[in-house]
Amino acid sequence: MHLRSLLWLVAGLAGAAGWGVLALHRGETINAAWLVLAAVGTYLVAFRFYSRFLAERVFGLDDRRATPAERLANGRDFVPTSRWVLFGHHFAAIAGAGPLVGPVLAAQFGYLPGTLWIVFGVVLAGAVQDFVILFGSMRRDGKSLGQMAKEETGPITGLLAMVAVLAIMIILLAVLALVVVNALKDSPWGVFTILCTIPIAILMGFWMKIWRPGRTLEASLAGVLLLLLALVGGRYVAESAVLAPYFTYSGLTIAYGIIAYGFIASVMPVWMLLCPRDYLSTFMKIGTILLLALGILIVLPPLRMPAVTQFVDGTGPVFAGKLFPFAFITIACGAISGFHALVASGTTPKMLVRESDARYIGYGGMLMESFVAIMALCAAALLDPGIYFAINAPLATLGGSAEAAAEVIRGWGFTVTPAQLTSLAADVGEKTLLGRAGGAPSLAVGMAVILSGAFGQGLMALWYHFAIMFEALFILTTVDTGTRVGRFMLQELAGQLWTPLGRTSWYPSTILASAAVVAGWGYFLVQGVTDPLGGINSLWPLFGISNQLLASVALCVGTTLLIKGGKARYAWVTLAPLVWVLAVTLTAGWQKVFADDPRLGFLSHAALTARQIASGAMDPARGARLIFNDRLDAVVALAFMLVTLLVVLASAREWILVLTRRRPAVAKESPFVETAYAG
Amino acid sequence: MAPFAPLRVTARLVLTTIKRIAGMPDYEAYLDHLRRRHPERPLPSEREFYDEFVRARYSDGPTRCC
Repeated sequence: MHLRSLLWLVAGLAGAAGWGVLALHRGETINAAWLVLAAVGTYLVAFRFYSRFLAERVFGLDDRRATPAERLANGRDFVPTSRWVLFGHHFAAIAGAGPLVGPVLAAQFGYLPGTLWIVFGVVLAGAVQDFVILFGSMRRDGKSLGQMAKEETGPITGLLAMVAVLAIMIILLAVLALVVVNALKDSPWGVFTILCTIPIAILMGFWMKIWRPGRTLEASLAGVLLLLLALVGGRYVAESAVLAPYFTYSGLTIAYGIIAYGFIASVMPVWMLLCPRDYLSTFMKIGTILLLALGILIVLPPLRMPAVTQFVDGTGPVFAGKLFPFAFITIACGAISGFHALVASGTTPKMLVRESDARYIGYGGMLMESFVAIMALCAAALLDPGIYFAINAPLATLGGSAEAAAEVIRGWGFTVTPAQLTSLAADVGEKTLLGRAGGAPSLAVGMAVILSGAFGQGLMALWYHFAIMFEALFILTTVDTGTRVGRFMLQELAGQLWTPLGRTSWYPSTILASAAVVAGWGYFLVQGVTDPLGGINSLWPLFGISNQLLASVALCVGTTLLIKGGKARYAWVTLAPLVWVLAVTLTAGWQKVFADDPRLGFLSHAALTARQIASGAMDPARGARLIFNDRLDAVVALAFMLVTLLVVLASAREWILVLTRRRPAVAKESPFVETAYAG
Repeated sequence: MAPFAPLRVTARLVLTTIKRIAGMPDYEAYLDHLRRRHPERPLPSEREFYDEFVRARYSDGPTRCC
């Protein structure tokens, strides 16, 4: 007992030491080790004390109560699974491109703001959200977020939650696809590798379905090996004067390619493409994240980015807007992600063996995701700031050549020479890295520096393309699974208008709904690719806002569960993060729509474009398109805000009714059944 | 084969763990479940089980995050 207390004390002191060093070292480079130490120390203390408080006092987890996995065991989705294995499963499902890209973009404010939000945001908000939703779903036979919203606060809230999820999906898919486009444009190596993933996945699909039914592991092993072969082969393609032109495409062409791919993947049988890709990207994801963690621990890179940059005033080139609120929506997934509420009320609650495991999976899994975000931040902050801004600023700001870019960046107070820019591009096997906004390329450069430092110098180009392949692979997997999920949701909504449209096996309905979903995100994708400022500028904040607003919906549902479950005195555990997330997101949404600065506000940008057309500085047809897009983005942002506010109001009404005893405080949990498991 | 029995148990455990983490179907575990809980039902072939599993997994709700 004493030894364990001592260990927790050491963890706490280590975290405190990490924060101390971060606080005192200003204006010098600092080693990433301190950042990692501060984060991990904080996670351990939060897990030991806060998550235990949530588990025992607030939720009252009870190991005598049989879980859905025990009561409803069916050997398929309801399967009692040991807590360590389930942790891996849950983590693989929540980790994605979000926690990798967001922190890289937010590094324009310096490494400190991002670190603070990632660590304290997860401890007090993100992990609490995942935990409360997992808890609620576990007590309700694994029901989804939408079903819980419907049962506890009424059918309208349920419907609004569903519409919100669908809309977020559309924006999410567009912005993630845009990240891939920016990473692959004019990059024959990257395009070749990614194209290879399609036949490899189809091969795996036939292997698992036709040739050796159910042999998923051997097929995946073969798939991963073929993928690595394609990665090495990409270099020869890129260096060959004959082959390279066949794989060199502009951003717009790649965008249309991804749109076509998304449609085909959504209507094809699942076993052929989607399922094998899912396995492939899961293994690549877990492998790469472990590799990155190991690399950072071996290399312990110094962080060259300042703790705080001058861009906290809102003049940053990567995206517009001040530190508050934009740091908090740019980093969505690593600190709090509404999307996790869908996973936490999906497969995971059906696999818990005992209730107390929910603490390890729900709270602990999210801490792990936050750690991935910290690693991504380290990978971005270890680059020279000059290099970081050369990769992430829009091409229109930098000018076309390395010389012009170096000059612009010098104007921001960071030194970088044109020779550095061209030699780095050559090192990673690309013609240029300028203006590859979206986070993936600069993360890949950072990862290449770490991994080649840890596992072999001179393999820089291979590691860079390995990182690009890994990001593009699982982003495209999100695009095809997301399109499919969006299609199901749309069909379910449409089925309420006309029943045949709701039948997911009816082919015309499938084609129609798939086309509608693909057209939705495809429109925003093309808008982003043709946007003179690179698109990430407008789309990433829109995604951040939508994801955080979904988090608000999840926190509302969580609060309702607590209040109806008779735990109103503890409702602050979800109410406090709800208030913060709402304040951040509504401020950001308002600024994105109405700010006077045309770099920030959609409407003032539309007005600026109108003036440019009037003065003859802008082609009228192109200008009209830009204006339409600005207004569309404004409407989308306002619609997100409106839907969220409606959910908040409906929930608040319910809370007040329960608290004033006009409605009984009865949560619709499944009845208590005593577990048959021993101990 | 008796000396290798512990080894096979370990191998099975490792494979099951990897499958669970990746959300893959586990035919052996399903057969165990059926034999224990529903001995009267016929056992599906591995192919039938795989088809049904894949269909169910991707037919509703998101299975992964951004």
